[in-house]
Amino acid sequence: MTDSAFLKIRNLGKSFGQVRAIEDISLEVPRGEFLTFLGPSGSGKSTTLYMLAGFLEPSKGDIQLEGRSILGLPSHKRNIGMVFQRYTLFMHLSVGENIAFPLRVRRRSAKEIHARVDEMLALVRLEGFRDRMPAALSGGQQQRVALARALAYDPPILLMDEPLSALDKKLREEIQTEIKRVHQQTGVTILYVTHDQEEALRLSDRIALFNNGRIEQIGSGIELYNDPITRFSAAFMGNSNFLQMKAENLRSGRADARFPDGTLIAQVPVHGLADGAGDGVLMVRPENIRIQPEAAAAGLPATINDVTFLGDCQLIAARTAWGEELSIRSPLSNSGHLPLQPGDKVRLTWQNAGSYLFL
Amino acid sequence: MLLSFDRMGLLRWILVLITVLVMLFLILPVAFIVALSFGSSQWLAFPPPGWTLRWYHEFFADPRWMAAIWTSAKIGVLVMISSTLLALLTSFALVRGRFRGREALRAAFLTPMILPVVVVAVALYAFFLKIGLNGTLLGFVIAHTVLALPFAIIPISAALAGFDKSVEDAAILCGASPWEARLRITLPSIRHGLFAAMVFSFLVSWDEVVVAIFMASPTLQTMPVRIWGSLRQDLSPVIAAASSLLILLTLVMMLLAALLRKKADR
Amino acid sequence: MLLLAIFFVVPVVSLLLRSVTEPQLGLQNYETLIATTTYAKIFWNTFLVASVVTSVTILLGYPVAWLLSILPGRWAAIGFGIILLSMWTNLLARTYAWMVLLQSTGVINRALKALGIIDTPLQLINNLTGVTIGMVYIMLPFFILPLQATLRTIDPAVLQAASLCGAGRWQAFRRVLLPLSLPGILSGGLIVFVMSLGYFVTPALLGGTSNMMLAELIAQLVQSLLNWGLGGAAAFVLLVLTLALYALQVRLFGAPGREG
Repeated sequence: MTDSAFLKIRNLGKSFGQVRAIEDISLEVPRGEFLTFLGPSGSGKSTTLYMLAGFLEPSKGDIQLEGRSILGLPSHKRNIGMVFQRYTLFMHLSVGENIAFPLRVRRRSAKEIHARVDEMLALVRLEGFRDRMPAALSGGQQQRVALARALAYDPPILLMDEPLSALDKKLREEIQTEIKRVHQQTGVTILYVTHDQEEALRLSDRIALFNNGRIEQIGSGIELYNDPITRFSAAFMGNSNFLQMKAENLRSGRADARFPDGTLIAQVPVHGLADGAGDGVLMVRPENIRIQPEAAAAGLPATINDVTFLGDCQLIAARTAWGEELSIRSPLSNSGHLPLQPGDKVRLTWQNAGSYLFL
Repeated sequence: MLLSFDRMGLLRWILVLITVLVMLFLILPVAFIVALSFGSSQWLAFPPPGWTLRWYHEFFADPRWMAAIWTSAKIGVLVMISSTLLALLTSFALVRGRFRGREALRAAFLTPMILPVVVVAVALYAFFLKIGLNGTLLGFVIAHTVLALPFAIIPISAALAGFDKSVEDAAILCGASPWEARLRITLPSIRHGLFAAMVFSFLVSWDEVVVAIFMASPTLQTMPVRIWGSLRQDLSPVIAAASSLLILLTLVMMLLAALLRKKADR
Repeated sequence: MLLLAIFFVVPVVSLLLRSVTEPQLGLQNYETLIATTTYAKIFWNTFLVASVVTSVTILLGYPVAWLLSILPGRWAAIGFGIILLSMWTNLLARTYAWMVLLQSTGVINRALKALGIIDTPLQLINNLTGVTIGMVYIMLPFFILPLQATLRTIDPAVLQAASLCGAGRWQAFRRVLLPLSLPGILSGGLIVFVMSLGYFVTPALLGGTSNMMLAELIAQLVQSLLNWGLGGAAAFVLLVLTLALYALQVRLFGAPGREG
């Protein structure tokens, strides 16, 4: 696979004085991929992006584009496109001149520039805006012009640093669609930073989940959601319940979970430290939990705390015998025969494949 | 209520009365000078017995006044250039720089604005006596640049602080070298600050009296020095004519500034 | 940066050094300044004028700032126009106007005489009265403009609340509006006082020789008497006073020129 070597990040690290912002990051991105850096603020995703852009110098490691290190190149020679979090249009230049700017500094001919600007305006569907000034544009339009400007010189990589965070929700979804279309249309490789997992799921081919200066997990959205390999991934993606337990009989990636009230659930897949038994947590998604009558043969005994009707489903808060809170999202049909009331005693069951032990 | 004009009752009229009086106090001397400059009385009688343009003729016919205007303009333009350029460099360091003592340095740059001019004037005078810069154009320009610098740094720093560095970064990623980005993107973006700095610098130099009195030589006099000298001799109506021209200049500058602000708002 | 060091710090410091080295090493220049009655009188004059100017400026400026802060747009704009025009007009031109207006055959004296208020012309110039009038004229804009900005930030609802609480006009003013605007008054007053202490042009032209103020003394000691030691000492006193008051200002109200 020669394409996997398109962009390579090797053991990248960055320290600011005593503070280590990026611990150690390695990553390979094939050409044309839409890869999102997702994570809480301060997890190092923007710092990584800025090192790619050349605004920050890595403390260690290497970044290679098509097999050649780009660390020696100053930002303006890296030929990388970027759309920033804040509006960065040149306010004294018209929309057309903003898009033309990278071509002008590359001393392209006037004819070529004119044609290219037209092409770019069409790409972001802002034909007719060529002579407008940026101040007369809405926030969404400004970011579309910024996108056009960043793509005008056909960069192999486009970096996007939370480009939609200043926009309201409705507009954000509209422009997400635009970005996705532009990606498909141009085939440019996009590295996209966001802290909004819905945005990440909506846009990306793969998601790199950042935490404390490391990549916690990388994979498609479905992989991250259904198969979180760390406790952090499980907690960050979607909603999840964590129940404390002791692992027993650990072997070949599975173990039995013993809860404080004595309940035993056998053969749960294990992530994390795979050697030896011990204290850990069991993760189960709210929508994977089934509610059974108290008289049922198996399941974790619990008491219903609260039931909230949400239209297509109901959200149920339950408490285990030892006092841990769980949330359960249940389609009405699943418990239709069980009119639940706060105080009801029930048993909770779930498929082992939908739950994980983290030790 | 006390902060609502329509509901203050009698108090409103007391405030209006005081304000009108203060406004008259502020505006009448200015109007008075302009009126006098057209009055025909050599002894500045008011109201004037008749109207004349004689004092303006005398003013423009006097080579010493013309030389003073020329000197002031020359110094003003040079100060405008040097102070704006230096303020631009300083502002970059003060706004973008991340070093210890940045706040102290900022305060140091603004001190010439706070210190009594007379202290600065005397100090520079003594210093220039030693290095032979008194009575020279260069001496004037340096002295006025020191005084004008804070007035140039304040608007440029404010404009630069309000300018998002990401925009410059964007230009650099677009392929512009750092210098090209600063020249083609950052400078045009802070042009209002630069313009204000230029106007202030020029005005500081143009209107400056105290340092100029110390620096001036009989052959090199700025307009304020010339007025100062005449004032100490007599109260000739020619000074009224000269003053009226300065007032006209102020008015033009104010209108220009207002016009530019309106344009910037749009 | 270097320019500032060479052409600002070095001259000021070397002037101060001369105050303790000329004619010989020691503090004798400062002793002279304190011990000589002429100089003591000049210090007294300076403080007197600065205090009176500050008080009068506050008394006249406060109502104007108050009204400007609540006046509807158009009228306020006219007021600002007048203030700015007066502030930006060349200092000498304005001082010249007062020299002509205040002289014994000037408009003011003639008007007063015609109205029968006085028989002999009042001595309005070449004394501290003239200096005070001229300085108040120059200082008013520096006080009104910042104060009205402070007043604008006060929410009128606060006063409505005060009146609902039962406060009458006077009570509302004394207990609510005045305390809320006090920072603006103090800050503006301090600026005016500091500027007045070191003012040169107006006292020199309107004050006459027998009523010298500190700035003029410094200039004369250096320029006419070539007494650099004593001049430096007087300059140092002025410098210390100014910086101390400025430090107080920064301490109380923050550094100026920090918008944006």
